[in-house]
Amino acid sequence: MLELIFLLPMLTGLVTLVIPAYLGRGVLIVAAILHLQLTVMAWLGKLPVYAERFFAQTPEGMLVLLVTSFIFFCISIYAISYMQETEVSNEQVFPGCMLLFLGTMSMVTLADHPIVLWIAIEATTLVSAPLIFMHRSKEALEATWKYVLVCSVGIALALLGCFFITLSIDIAEVDISLSFTSLNQVAMQLDPMWLKVGFIFVVIGFGTKMGLAPMHTWLPDAHSQAPSPASALLSGALLNCAFLGVYKVHTLMYLAGLGEFSGNILIGFGLLSMFVAGIFILKQPDYKRMLAYSSIENMGVIAFGVGIGGFALYGAILHMIHHSLIKSSLFLSAGNILLGFNTKLVDRIGGLIKYFPKTFLSFFAGFVGISGLPPFGIFLSELFILIGAFQTGHWFGAVLFMFSLLLVLAGAAQIVTDMSFSTEEQPTFGREKLLRVVPPYILLSASVVLCVWMPGAMFNTIINTIKIVGGVIHG
Amino acid sequence: MKNMNDILLVVILLSVLLSLASNSLGTLVKIMAVQGVMVSLLPLLLEHHSSMGSGGLIFFQVMILIKGVLIPGLLYIALKRISIRREIEPIVGYHASLFAGLIIILLSVFITDKLHLSMPSGHELLLMTAITTISAGFFLMMSRRKAITQVIGYLMLENGIYLIGTALTKHSHTVYVVEFGVLLDLLVGVMVMGIILHNINHAFDDIDTDLLNRLKD
Repeated sequence: MLELIFLLPMLTGLVTLVIPAYLGRGVLIVAAILHLQLTVMAWLGKLPVYAERFFAQTPEGMLVLLVTSFIFFCISIYAISYMQETEVSNEQVFPGCMLLFLGTMSMVTLADHPIVLWIAIEATTLVSAPLIFMHRSKEALEATWKYVLVCSVGIALALLGCFFITLSIDIAEVDISLSFTSLNQVAMQLDPMWLKVGFIFVVIGFGTKMGLAPMHTWLPDAHSQAPSPASALLSGALLNCAFLGVYKVHTLMYLAGLGEFSGNILIGFGLLSMFVAGIFILKQPDYKRMLAYSSIENMGVIAFGVGIGGFALYGAILHMIHHSLIKSSLFLSAGNILLGFNTKLVDRIGGLIKYFPKTFLSFFAGFVGISGLPPFGIFLSELFILIGAFQTGHWFGAVLFMFSLLLVLAGAAQIVTDMSFSTEEQPTFGREKLLRVVPPYILLSASVVLCVWMPGAMFNTIINTIKIVGGVIHG
Repeated sequence: MKNMNDILLVVILLSVLLSLASNSLGTLVKIMAVQGVMVSLLPLLLEHHSSMGSGGLIFFQVMILIKGVLIPGLLYIALKRISIRREIEPIVGYHASLFAGLIIILLSVFITDKLHLSMPSGHELLLMTAITTISAGFFLMMSRRKAITQVIGYLMLENGIYLIGTALTKHSHTVYVVEFGVLLDLLVGVMVMGIILHNINHAFDDIDTDLLNRLKD
C-alpha cells in the first residue's frame, strides 16, 4: 500500500517523541533506510494505491519523493553524530520531529487531492517548527515565530486558492471528483477566470513556503537558526515540496490553455527572487544565511525555468534535483564548520584548508557545484534553462538571469575564499568525525554521477513529468 | 431560513468590527469564540447543505467544538500565562482601526458588486462577509504589536477563508475526512503558536513583536 510511505515515518516519529534519545537515534536511521526501500518499491510499481480518492503516483511526485528520501537517508547518518556533539534539551524531539517532517513531506509528494496537498504542506510547517527552535536561543525563537506565522498565513492563502479552483468546477458545472488527475482531464471546460484567481493565490501561498521573493522573509532566519541537519532538510526537501504544489497547479493551468498567464507570473517571481538573493548575498556576514539566500536564488531559477517551459522546463526539473543534492551537502558541511569554530560569522572563521581539510574539500566542491560550474549538475541545468530562454525569445529574462547568477557567484566566492584561506582564526574544536564527513561527499558524488549517467527509469519519469506541460528535451 | 443566514452573517460582520475596536485581549478571545461558532453554524443553514447525512452532523459538531471551545480555550490559557491584559500603543489606534474596518466593508461591497464575478447567485452577502473577514484579519495582524493579537488575526483570516470554502463550493465536494484534516492543522497550528508565545514571554518578559528584531540583514 502506497500510503505506507508516509504512514511509516509518521508513526515511528510519534513513537520516537516519547522514547529516550539514544533509542530515537537508532529508530531514525532504521526508518530512513525503510523509507528509502519503500520509495524504491514504489518506483518499481510494487505498491498499489489504497485511498485512490486522495493519493496517486504522479511522475513529478515520485521524483520529489526519491530526492527527499535519498537526502533524508544521508542527513540521518550525519544527524546521529551531529546531535551527540551539540547540547540541546529535550533531545528526543529532534529525531521525532525529523521523522514527522519526512512523513508529512512524503504525503505532499503523493497527494492528488488539492486540499489534502494543502493539509500536508501546512503540516510540514507545524512539525518542522520545533526543529528550528532546537537551540532555544532568543534568535531561534524569533526565527521560529516568523517561520510559523509567515508560512501559516501564506499557506492559508493557498487554501483560498484551492477553494477558488473548486469554484471553477462548480461554475462550469462539470461533475467530477476533486483531484488533480480528474481536473487535468477536464481542464479545458473549467471556468478560466476563477482558475486564474486561484492560481495567483496558490502561487503566493505555496510561493511563500518555497521562498520566492518578496515572500521569502522567513527563509534566511529559519535556515540559519535551525541545527544544520534540519537546515539541510528544509532547503533540500521542503522547498521542493512547496514547489510541487505550485507545479501541479501550473500543469492544470497549462492544460486549461492558460499556460502563458501562469508562466509569466512564475517568470516574474523567479527573476525577482534571483535578483533579491543576489543583492543580499553580497557582503553577507553569516555563512548559513549566505546558503539560505542561495536557496532563494535557486528556487527563483526553478520558477523561471518552469515559467519559460519547453527545453527550459527540462532544465528546471534537473535543477531541482541537483540543487537539493548540492545544497543539502553544503548545509551539512556548514554544520561541520559550525561545530569546529562555534560561530556563524564569516569573519571569525579562517584556514579551513589547514584545520579541516576534508570539510574544506566538501564545502568548496559544494560551492563550485552551486555556482553552476562543471562537473556538477547545476552547470547543465542552468545551461539548459538559458538555452530555453533564448529559444523562446526571453532576452531580457535571460540577461537578468545571468546577471543575478554573477551577483550570487561573486558574493559566495568572497565568503568561501575568506573562510577557506585566511589564516588569522583558530578553531575551538578539532576533530572531523567520519560520520559527519562522509554524507556530504555522498550527496555531491550523487550529483556528479547523475550528470554523466542517469538511470533509465529516472530519465523516463522526468520526460513523463515535463511532457504534459509541453516540455521537450530536443532543443 | 434565508433570514437566519443573514442574521448569522451580520453577527460575523459585527464581531469583526468589535474585534478591531477592542483593546482588551480577553474580550478579543471571547469575540473569536463567538465568531468561530457562527462560522461553523452557517453551512448547516445553507440550502444546498440541507440534505446532510449523520456524518456531516457529527462533523459540524466537532467543528463547533474546535472553533468555538478548543481554540479559544487554548488562547485563553496562553493569555493567562502571560501577564499582559491589554494592547497598549497599537500601531494603528482603535478608532482609526474601526474606521478602517468600515472602509474594508465598503471595499468588499464594491468588489462583490462591481466585478460581476460569475458565482452562484444569492451569495453576495456571504462573499462580502468573507472578504471583509479575510481583510480585517490581515489588518489586525499588521496593526497590532502583541504576538497574541497576530494569532487572532490569523484565526480571523482562516475563518474568512472557511466561509468561502464551505459556502460557495458545492456540497458534493465536501469530504469530511479532508475537512477534518484542515481543522486539525488549524488546531495544532494554534497549539504550536501558543507554545512559542509562552517561550517568547519567558525569554523577553513580554510578547511584543518589536522585541523580535535580532535577525536582520
